[in-house]
Amino acid sequence: MGVLYCLMSLGINFIYGIMKVINWAMGEYYMIGSYVLYLLVTFPLGVKYWYVAVLAAAIAVFFLGAFVQVLLIKPMFTGAIGERGEYGTIVTIATAIFIRNLAVVIGGPYIYTPPDYAGPTNIGPLPISGNTLVALMGALILLSLFYYLIKRTWVGRALQGVAQNRIGIQTSGVNILKFDMLAFGIGTALAAAAGALLAPVYLVYPTCGLVSSVRGFEIIVIAGLGSIWGVLVASLALGVVESLGAVFISPSFMDIYGFVLLVIVLSLKPYGLFGKEERIA
Amino acid sequence: MQTFKKYAVLSLLLLISLLLPHFITDYWIYVLTVAFYYAIMAAGWNLLGGYTGQFSLCHSTFALIGAYASALTIVKLGLPLWVGILSGTLLTLVLSLGLGIVCLRVRGIYLALITWAFAEVIRTFIRVAYEFTGGDRGLNSPYLFRSVKPLPYYYLFLGLTVLAIILIAVVMRSRIGFYLRAIRNDEVAARAMGVNTVRWKIFAFMLPSGLAGVTGAFYGHYIGLISPVLGEFNEMAMIIIFVVIGGMRTQAGPILGAISIRYLMEFLREWAEIRIVILSAIVILIMRFFNGGLMEFLRRAGGWVRKKDAVSAYASMGEK
Amino acid sequence: MDGREKQILRLENVVRDFGGLRAVNHVSLQVEEGEVRGLIGPNGSGKTTLINLITGIYKITEGDIYFGAKRISGLQPDVIASLGIMRTFQVPRVFRDMTVLENMMVPALSQGQTKQEAKTRAEELLEFALLTRLKNEPAKSLSGGQSMLLQIVRVFMNKRLMLYVMDEPFAGVHESIKGIILKTIKAMNQEKGITFLIVSHEMTTISNLCPRVSVLYRGGIISQGTMEEIANDPLVIDAYLGGQ
Repeated sequence: MGVLYCLMSLGINFIYGIMKVINWAMGEYYMIGSYVLYLLVTFPLGVKYWYVAVLAAAIAVFFLGAFVQVLLIKPMFTGAIGERGEYGTIVTIATAIFIRNLAVVIGGPYIYTPPDYAGPTNIGPLPISGNTLVALMGALILLSLFYYLIKRTWVGRALQGVAQNRIGIQTSGVNILKFDMLAFGIGTALAAAAGALLAPVYLVYPTCGLVSSVRGFEIIVIAGLGSIWGVLVASLALGVVESLGAVFISPSFMDIYGFVLLVIVLSLKPYGLFGKEERIA
Repeated sequence: MQTFKKYAVLSLLLLISLLLPHFITDYWIYVLTVAFYYAIMAAGWNLLGGYTGQFSLCHSTFALIGAYASALTIVKLGLPLWVGILSGTLLTLVLSLGLGIVCLRVRGIYLALITWAFAEVIRTFIRVAYEFTGGDRGLNSPYLFRSVKPLPYYYLFLGLTVLAIILIAVVMRSRIGFYLRAIRNDEVAARAMGVNTVRWKIFAFMLPSGLAGVTGAFYGHYIGLISPVLGEFNEMAMIIIFVVIGGMRTQAGPILGAISIRYLMEFLREWAEIRIVILSAIVILIMRFFNGGLMEFLRRAGGWVRKKDAVSAYASMGEK
Repeated sequence: MDGREKQILRLENVVRDFGGLRAVNHVSLQVEEGEVRGLIGPNGSGKTTLINLITGIYKITEGDIYFGAKRISGLQPDVIASLGIMRTFQVPRVFRDMTVLENMMVPALSQGQTKQEAKTRAEELLEFALLTRLKNEPAKSLSGGQSMLLQIVRVFMNKRLMLYVMDEPFAGVHESIKGIILKTIKAMNQEKGITFLIVSHEMTTISNLCPRVSVLYRGGIISQGTMEEIANDPLVIDAYLGGQ
């Protein structure tokens, strides 16, 4: 599970790293991903091609995210907006509300059940649902793709450069606005992929993005903003903590284990495990 | 002359709101009373997030805490009502003090994140400790007044709203208002100019939060059944929407926004989700293009009217 | 003992490290009451860091700073401001969404003056600085030079101002505004006895304004004296012309 939450928080952290904006609407992109998957799997494609559907969902949301970014986020950097700090937060929150309610308007408040990916199986002694296993594998593949993208390709390295030094990188001729758009698209696509992968597990309905986005932000707080490895570690930690808690203490309290971890981490390291302290003057 | 006009308008509004309940149905009285609750919440958030620039996402959480603390004190400890409300207020003040201190060193985005985390932790805690708090099923909060009539509650919340308005206006007009605005504009410069940013940031945190706590406690005793829904992210988003549409960083904006939008929402009840789609779209448009909200719109309209008068006066002068 | 009493500012072996980088390296500096002292040095020599240390924005890694007899190293910036030390910033930091008049009132209010007192004093100072016509404009509409000027006169709202540290007050400022700034410094120094420590690149202005100048290079004071003396100091010449 931790691996899947990782996709969400990776997206959030990634976008933050590039643009210093927290996209509060990530859960909604997850939800869109779920819906797209449901639609594709139920009608044209059928379950056998689930991975195509996941990819399609991710790609579709990539473009949607890029579109949103150009419309709403880019102006932050082209000087059209006065109050940058609150603008980003307010606009992404408003977008989240907008998309969430639009989903109800379009699709109705119903819960859709996409068909299962696979039947239940076992990993060693632990029973695991086929869906979760498939989702896990999908997530791992995506994560490795992402890693490959960031570390090995030119695009990835450019993005790293933008995250590290926004102004400096422009002197190397990098069109920062294009990369902003790219980053936003990638981030939202990751969320959508998570949504698509988890659609059979959590089912598909307008507020299905909430569960994962809460976890996603939890991980960000625990890991600290700006560090990709931190997100990985924190997501695994969260996943482990939740599962252990559910098994050994009580499954009904599952939501809170993560937060206990969060409170503990924050009291020791207020910027998160790997967060960077901000310079003041 | 301006000040006189302002007070005249305010007195008129007050008069209207005092007399209004006798002309409208109970249902609309209920709507307005709830709107007052949101108006106070919006005005409070505006002080912290708008004027002082501390973008908090846990404002509604303090209302939630106030409501639960008060209800639980009365129900579990058997203490009288006013003790409940007092304990709700005290608890929110203490917690906001702690949170304020924690948030001293964090800036903008981090602040939003940490307050969000706080909000979720509290909300989850209430849900999870369901044996004590009733969890998702909610908690019965004893009614404030014996009778079920809406009028006393209406005047109570009207009174609270007026008090909140006065309190916030007094603060923002005083030297504290200068400090808070300076902190938002440039905290480092404010410090260099002798402003004790630590003290005033904590103040900016505690005042609205305490206000939210009191109001939340009363609200709990008004609606009778409280649940963690009161502290959901949705509630917080709505408050922000009220403030943005009404006009951030204005005195009247949040109040105006909250009341008019709540009224409108009630009006459009059948269009449950569509109305929110429209509202959030408006917020996005305002932030993107207009950034002033209703108050700015009114001000410009007023200015335009005055200009038209001036132009026509000038033109008619020419004709002589 | 006598010499010390007239020292309004004394830095003793001040060191400031940022991780592995030593930005200020055992700086000892004494400024006498009533002086107009210049502080010059090539880019990156640590001048702004030094100012930040004096005004409490950065903590000292080693050493001490005294304001008169009082040890101020480790105090918060707003406390130091209330003691009578204030500064301006290299890039003007004004309160952008507040009017010019309101900007002026902030340091007076934090000092305890009433709103009316602050307003009156602000209007007087704005008059002196020829900024009166802008007094109700939001500070964000000011030009760069005007913002610098606002920043500068804003500090004089503090009635208890004794030491004024200025960070590049003339950078990119129009001649006419520069004239006002110079006039203000001279007037405040002569009439009110305010001590000035001015960081600047503009050699001619500094030599006209400051009888004594200290030179900072790579975090350390390498020379002190009149402008003529330090201009002939081989260490200084080397610092400016030689490699870094």
